[in-house]
Order: sequence, then C-alpha cells, then structure tokens
Amino acid sequence: VMDWVKTVCLVLWAFTFNSVADDLKEQALKLMADTPLIDGHNDLPWQMRSLFNNQLNTVDLYKLNSTHTNIPKIKEGHLSAQFWAAYVPCDTQYKDAVRQTLEQIDVIHRMCHKYPEVFKFAASSQDILDAFEQNKTASLIGVEGGHSIDSSLGTLRTMYQLGVRYLTITHSCNTPWADNWLVDTGSEPEAHGGLSDFGKQVIREMNRIGMLIDLSHVSEKVMNQVLDISEAPVIFSHSSAYSICNHKRNVPDDVLMRVKEKKGIVMVNFYNDYVTCQTTANISDVADHFDHIKKVAGSSIIGFGGDYDGVSRVPDGLEDVSKYPNLVAELLRRKWSDEEIRDALGRNLLRVFREVEEVRDLLNGTKPDDIPIPLKEVQNPCRTDFVLIMTLLNKLL
Amino acid sequence: MTKYPLIDGHNDLALRLRMHHNNKLSTFNMHHNPRVATDISRLTAGHVGGQVFAAYVLCTAQDKDAVRLTLEQIDVIRRMCTENPEMELVTTAEGMRTSTKIACLISIEGGHSIDSSLAALRMFYQLGVRSMALTHNCNTPWAESSSSYYTYYQQKNNSLTDFGKAVVNEMNRLGMLVDLSHSSWETTRAVLKHSTVPVIFSHSSAYAICNNIRNVPDEQLLLLKENGGLIMVNFYSSFVACSNNANVSVVADHFDHLKQVIGAESIGIGADFDGAQGFPKGLEDVSKYPALIEELISRNWTEEELAGVLRLNFLRVFRKVEKVRKFILVSSSQFNEVS
Repeated sequence: VMDWVKTVCLVLWAFTFNSVADDLKEQALKLMADTPLIDGHNDLPWQMRSLFNNQLNTVDLYKLNSTHTNIPKIKEGHLSAQFWAAYVPCDTQYKDAVRQTLEQIDVIHRMCHKYPEVFKFAASSQDILDAFEQNKTASLIGVEGGHSIDSSLGTLRTMYQLGVRYLTITHSCNTPWADNWLVDTGSEPEAHGGLSDFGKQVIREMNRIGMLIDLSHVSEKVMNQVLDISEAPVIFSHSSAYSICNHKRNVPDDVLMRVKEKKGIVMVNFYNDYVTCQTTANISDVADHFDHIKKVAGSSIIGFGGDYDGVSRVPDGLEDVSKYPNLVAELLRRKWSDEEIRDALGRNLLRVFREVEEVRDLLNGTKPDDIPIPLKEVQNPCRTDFVLIMTLLNKLL
Repeated sequence: MTKYPLIDGHNDLALRLRMHHNNKLSTFNMHHNPRVATDISRLTAGHVGGQVFAAYVLCTAQDKDAVRLTLEQIDVIRRMCTENPEMELVTTAEGMRTSTKIACLISIEGGHSIDSSLAALRMFYQLGVRSMALTHNCNTPWAESSSSYYTYYQQKNNSLTDFGKAVVNEMNRLGMLVDLSHSSWETTRAVLKHSTVPVIFSHSSAYAICNNIRNVPDEQLLLLKENGGLIMVNFYSSFVACSNNANVSVVADHFDHLKQVIGAESIGIGADFDGAQGFPKGLEDVSKYPALIEELISRNWTEEELAGVLRLNFLRVFRKVEKVRKFILVSSSQFNEVS
C-alpha cells in the first residue's frame, strides 16, 4: 500500500510540478506580451559578415539555422527589441576599422529593409514602444568598440546620425584613450589608467548627443571614471555579476551599487564562461546572476544582454533566442514579482534610454566638441598628419 | 539674382577649415573672414541661395584614413550649416528650391573617400551626401583621374572597371549625383555611355576656350547633352584663361561657348572658391557673382537662360536624379538631428 501511496504521491507531485511549470511559462508569456523584452547585445550582424560577407541576398533569415538567431526563433522568444552589434575586430584598429564599421551599420539597416514585416529600425525610446505596438522587433544599433571611431568625435557624431545609439567604449583592446578589461587580468599593459583626457571628451560628447555609454568590455578603472563624470545613466550591454563568476568581463558589487546610484542598467550576459566561470551552464545559473544583482542593487538595474551569436557556448535551456521565456519562468519560480520582471524585461532599459535623451535635450545648444585628440597620442602609419602637410605646403607656397 | 538666387556647385570652404583650423569651427568666424573666399556676409552679398560644399580629403589619405577624414568633413559641413541661423542643411531638390536661407548640400570629392565600399557610399548618402566626384587628382581602384600627379592604381585601358560601373549604378539607385569633374576623359566617356541618369561636372569649364585637361572638350559636351546632364563652370584662372591673368570677360566666354554648343539649359556655375589660389579679377570671392551675371546680360543672355544657369538647371537635374531613386530611406523623423 505504501508503494502505491508513494507512486500516487509521486505522480501527483510530478503533475503539480508540470502544471506549475506550465503556469509559470504561461505567466512569463503573458508578461512578455504586455512588456517588450529588450536585449542589449546580439552579434548576428557579425555572423552576416563572417558567414555571408554581408551579402544578405544570399541569406533567408526565416530559414537560417546555423546561428542562434533567426526570425522564427525571434518570434518564439518574444524578442521585442534588440540592440544589434555593429562590431569589427580589434585588429582593424589603426587600419580600416571605420570603413568596416560603416559596413556593419549598413548591413543592419539592410536587414531591416529586407524584412520590414519583422524588423522596425529604432533610434529612440519611443521608437521601441512604437515597434512593440506594431508587433515588430525594434532594431537598434550599438557599435562595439571605441576603435570603431578612430579617435574622432566627428566620426562619433556621424555614427549617431546613422542611427547608432550606443558605443561600447572598448572591445578587447585598448584605444588611444581608454583601457579594456584585459588590463585587469594582467595580460595587457595599462595604457591610460582608465580614460585619458580625450577619453573624457568622448564621454562628455556622448552625453551631449544622447549616445548611450556601454561599459561592457572596459577595465574597472574606466567603469569607475565614467560613473564619475557621466551626466547620464550608463549601461552594461552584455555583462554579468562578478560575485557569482569572477571573470573580469563581469561587474563587481561596488560598481553595481554605483550603477544603481546612477540609475543605469546591467544587462546579463548568457555566455557560459561568464555565467559559471566554466564551459557549461544552465538556466538556473543565469538566474543566479539576476538574483544576485537584485539582492545587491535592486531589480531596477537589471536587463537581458544575451550576447547571442557573439559567443560559442550558451547555457542548457537557453540555446537560442527562442528560449528567453524559459528564463523569465525561472525568475517567476524564484518569486520575482510581475513588476520586477517587467522592469528587467524592458522598463529599466527604457528608463535609462529616456534619461539619456533628456540629458541630450538639456544640453541642446551647447557646442559640439571640436578639439581633436593630440596627434602624439594616436600617431600611426595610417593617420594623415596635417601638421606635416601644412609645414610642407607652407614651404611650397 | 534676387529673383533667382544662385546655386553654386562646388565650394571648398570645408577644406580650408581642415587645413587652417583643424575643423575647429568654434575658432572660425563664419560671418566675416578675409582669409578665405567664402563667408556668410559675402555669400549673402553674392546672392547665393544654395551652395554645394565639398567634403574633400587629400588623395594621400587613400588606403589610409580617407573614410574617417570624410566623415569628419561631412560632420564639419553639417555643423557649419546647422549652427548658423543664416544657413540650413538640405538633402533634396525641393529643400533647396524652397529654402529662404543659404541652403547647404554636401558633396564628396573623390571616390577614394568610399574605400571601394558600396556600404560606405550608402552610409554617406544617409548622412546627406548628394553628389560624389568619382575621382579627385588620384585614380581609385575602379576609376581614372585626369591627373597623373599620383601613381595610385594606374591601369591602362580600364578607366571604369566593373566595380566602377557598380558604383555608378548604386549612385543612380540611391539618387546621388554622379560628378565627373576631375575624372579622366576615358572615365568620363565611359560614364556618359553607361549612365542612364543625368550626370554633372560640378566645377569644370570649356576645353575649347582653355585647353586644360580639367576642362570638357566639345565632343564630351555633346555626350553630356544627350545624357541630359549639367556642366557647372569653374572660375579658377588657370582653367578659364589658361594663365594667371583672367577677368570676368574670359569667364563669360566659356558661358557663351557652352551655350553655343549645348544650349543654356545645360549650364550651371561651380566656381570652386576656396579650392584653389588665383581667381579672375572681378571674381575674387563669393560676393562677386553678380559681376558675371551683369556681363552675361550685356551679352544678351535672356532672363530665362540666366534663371536656368543660376538655379533652375541644377534643380531640374537634381530632381531627375531623385526620381530615379529606388531606395527608400528610413524616414528622417526617426533620427534626431543633432549638431
């Protein structure tokens, strides 16, 4: 009889568990239907370049199955807004980084044009809401790496004109004006002690034009210096919690506190190596990061920054962009309230974005920064030296 | 000219800003500046209603930082035109036509600016660039310059490669004016044969009057006429008089000759101020345009012909190029215009 009772209990428990799981998933989907999921970082454009040489005419995003991201998966995952990364590798620095970045910006625009029923290009917080209302995925652009602007504020401004709305201050290389995270691992020498003077100019100009400052990939000193001087909230588009996994790409607790003070956002990266500090992970491990950040700094600074198609190892249960609802269900299981979930899904990012826009509007009327980086800080074989040219010209004339 | 404010096809003030001020616009007096040929007070005195400003970068930047430098020039022109209330940046023929200020249009002077990338070309268009000269004084990997000063990409019998044709096609599709000033004669002929859309010479004059290779020979003028394009006359002394000694009359001779060969409707003005040293007596800077118009009036040019030369011909050609555009840009309301 006991066996029978045990079996019945087991079956009942399993039944309850499953229906609870179903309930959670259903609740997750309900929340994702009324609040846009805004993911901070996806490298599909890089896949377009490396797999297809940006020849979109040869790709069908409905059928593509060699990437984490395709259209059916986006729909299933309820991905309502995505910052697509316009990324070019660090070895283009001092060479053709700018031109390649323009090509990545261009491929994102073309992707939106090719599938207008799916993607709606967005360049403002309002645009994201409009796209959500039209049941489309708002598509924004983030340039991943300061090397893409070739130490030029004019280039920064024109990229904003092209719709770019965040700049990740460094990728995994120092720029002539900012240090990257590898400096904190000791594998690369520190060049600037954080930001140089010109680096500070970049931050201020980004505040002025309304470009979100992304601190994923930067060194800790840069994190703190930016938090010191930025007049607007900042983001980490794809970084997780250092306390849980002590990888230098992640955010230490004291910085989390400062982000909270600044009302910024940390968008959790799903890459196994940043989630568990190992090569394997699962949904629960990712949720641990969400829980930790909530505990340390509150749910108002959390977001999703999966880094899909930018990494090779993603957690079991989060294999591709269709799986977001499972993570939301897990958070619900951990007793996150509906409001906290909504904040994490998209409301936090929208708040940050809106405030960045407000700072821009406040600073409207201040002059663009036209002081260039000192030549000696950036001199390299590919950089035209106007001082030399003017000296030569003056000799001729 | 009050009735028909001038639209000039080529001005290199942005180059001066770069060379003498490192693009520090805040240190530059846009209203009164005797060190250059162009400033707001003289543009106003010259009855200039529209100016195409060239975002030019040196040929020596080819294969180096040309793209970045071009973005910086585009940025400085945009700033110049949005920070001064007397100016405004336009991107359409209609915008130019209806502007009550000095309307600015951005052009690029030399295909080396796109680093052989159609994506870069598209992004320049999105930044407001509406005209590109295929070459400056240097060859690109896909088009030939009239100048042999630089040795880049010298190739025989290939003045417009397949990629060059792709560039022209993309410009046509985008609605960007193809500018043949500075291109070699072979490239010019190739483009005139290949393009189904009107093209321009933004700052070239008549070879028959002054046989400088930057000028356009009669044979090409006839091809241009067939193409429905526009030649915008350059005032630089070496190009109008083939010497350092020029005056209003010799410039007017170019206009007379062009009218005779292809008619006044194919003519415009692209003086090239601030792009060179040495302009004719009486046409030293942008305030002096009326002197030329007076001379043409005295040579019995009609109001209709002059209205065309001053602005209507350019607007007509620009509008035609826009009509051919098959590319639908994201509406500009999604972008916030920021200086």
